[in-house]
Amino acid sequence: MNTDNRRRIKDNIILSFFGIQLLMLLIILSYMVGILIIGGIHVISWKTVFTSMLKGGLFETIIGTFLLFNGTAILAAPIGLGAAIYLSEYASKNNKIVRLIDQAINNLAGVPSIVTGLFGYTFFVKTLRFGISLMSGWLTLTIMALPIIVRGSEEAIRMVPKEFRETAMALGATKWQAIKDNVLPTATPGIATSIILGIARIAGETAAILFTACALTMRGLPRTPFDPIISLTYYLFVILVTSPSTSQNKAYAAAIILLSLVFLLNLVAIVLRAHYRRKWRR
Amino acid sequence: MKTKKELKLNHRKTVKAERNVKILLFTAASTTIVFITLITLFIFMETIPVFLNENLRIKILFSQVWAPAYEKYGILPLIMGSIIVVTGALVISIPVGLCTAIYIAEEASESLKDVFKSAIEMFAAIPSVIYGFIGLVTLTPIVAKIFGLSSGKNAFSASIILAIMVLPTIMSLSSEIISSVPKEYREVSFALGASKWQTIKNVILPTAKPGILAAIILAFGRAIGETVAVLMVCGAAGSMPGFPFFFDAVFPMTAAIAMYMGEAPMGGELYRTLFFLGLILFIITFIVNTVADAILKKSKSATSGGIEI
Repeated sequence: MNTDNRRRIKDNIILSFFGIQLLMLLIILSYMVGILIIGGIHVISWKTVFTSMLKGGLFETIIGTFLLFNGTAILAAPIGLGAAIYLSEYASKNNKIVRLIDQAINNLAGVPSIVTGLFGYTFFVKTLRFGISLMSGWLTLTIMALPIIVRGSEEAIRMVPKEFRETAMALGATKWQAIKDNVLPTATPGIATSIILGIARIAGETAAILFTACALTMRGLPRTPFDPIISLTYYLFVILVTSPSTSQNKAYAAAIILLSLVFLLNLVAIVLRAHYRRKWRR
Repeated sequence: MKTKKELKLNHRKTVKAERNVKILLFTAASTTIVFITLITLFIFMETIPVFLNENLRIKILFSQVWAPAYEKYGILPLIMGSIIVVTGALVISIPVGLCTAIYIAEEASESLKDVFKSAIEMFAAIPSVIYGFIGLVTLTPIVAKIFGLSSGKNAFSASIILAIMVLPTIMSLSSEIISSVPKEYREVSFALGASKWQTIKNVILPTAKPGILAAIILAFGRAIGETVAVLMVCGAAGSMPGFPFFFDAVFPMTAAIAMYMGEAPMGGELYRTLFFLGLILFIITFIVNTVADAILKKSKSATSGGIEI
């Protein structure tokens, strides 16, 4: 009995120690975010958001970020969804090409964003002559968003019960009709989650767009997809790397806007996913 | 009523449409192969002159100084920088990540588990510029003060920031893997009189070991490829860091690419060198991902638990 007690105490000590670590980690992270918010809350206002950079605002950077991730979503979502449908509905596991595709997605997910940026520079900017532009940025970022969208959508589609397909096909629908009319509508929340997560990742990306989409020479907002842009992340990068002591206030403002955007996107994704997972988990 | 001929035609049309859809979807899926092939090809092609030009090769591989302004392109200090910073980050994040993952998987209640997981996900989503910014305004002054340095921008600060950034990878994957160890393993261990900690130590962790290893390998890949946050707090000094390493300013490979790519003339020596660094990073992460992938697949079929990545 005595050793039993001692063991239980030991158990409790060890596991509480782990719990305390987790708690401390969460406190440190919240503290870091808190510092940002405290430092920036008095700087930020609707005026900063809507005033041009030439007049001390951040308008162009925000528009740049929105243009960047919206365009990427338009490119990456259909490709990613198509790949996900193929992998979950049509591909047979033992097919060599299917395994290659699987491997390619995992490897794409692991390529450091700076390397993707280098590739974007030689291929889209130089070889295809798109220049440092929105277009090069979209294509480069599509490569980064694809793995996230494919994996997420695949999971969502696989979660739809088999019966949804079988019933439709028993009623005479073709395979694609069954997928289009029964499976995809059911999987929509999950697919949306994956696209939002992909966008969130893109919105916060810096390294991949440093030399593919962004330039400091501001000529106002981009007029065509072949103009360079300035994004929130790029703006922060330039301020912090080249002149950390100046314009700290604007850096705080930009950081808060960026963080709110990314948190908001992730929050939506998490809530959406919790919702559909609860629905489909047996 | 449709005639037999019309029905047949209709049928042929649907069959054709079905096939077209399948081809379209397959095309979408194969773009991933196209992209990874193009990346490999182009990164490699831009570095070919490094392999052909002996002068440049010697300059890159044997110089101890990285100072592009003086045409010194030694990548050894950069490689050292990456190794130091990543090692530091893993030394911090592996124990913390594992302990917290065990807690989340084994101790936390179901509802708390969800809260923790969501929190981890949110922190994983913080952009790396923001981590760099936070590190710059909070961490570096503290580090400078504690160790009495003139600047807190050094390998130590970079390691800490990097550790925080890779923690979510280790935590979420490891806790997922620990949770997927079959319930029976625990029950048998308890039935034999083992305590909770004994069960974790002797039964669960050994079973989850391959998966945890994969998580650590993936974290390594993340850490070595991380750029912007590291650049902001590493101090960006291109000389060889001296012992004890951690309080010197360093210049990891990724940071050097981000810093100098913008000013490198196309096709020049600096340009080639930066692409060579890119190639090194690409090869390392490619190997890392393939290995981690293989381990995960193997352990997945071994425990046949539902591990999600």
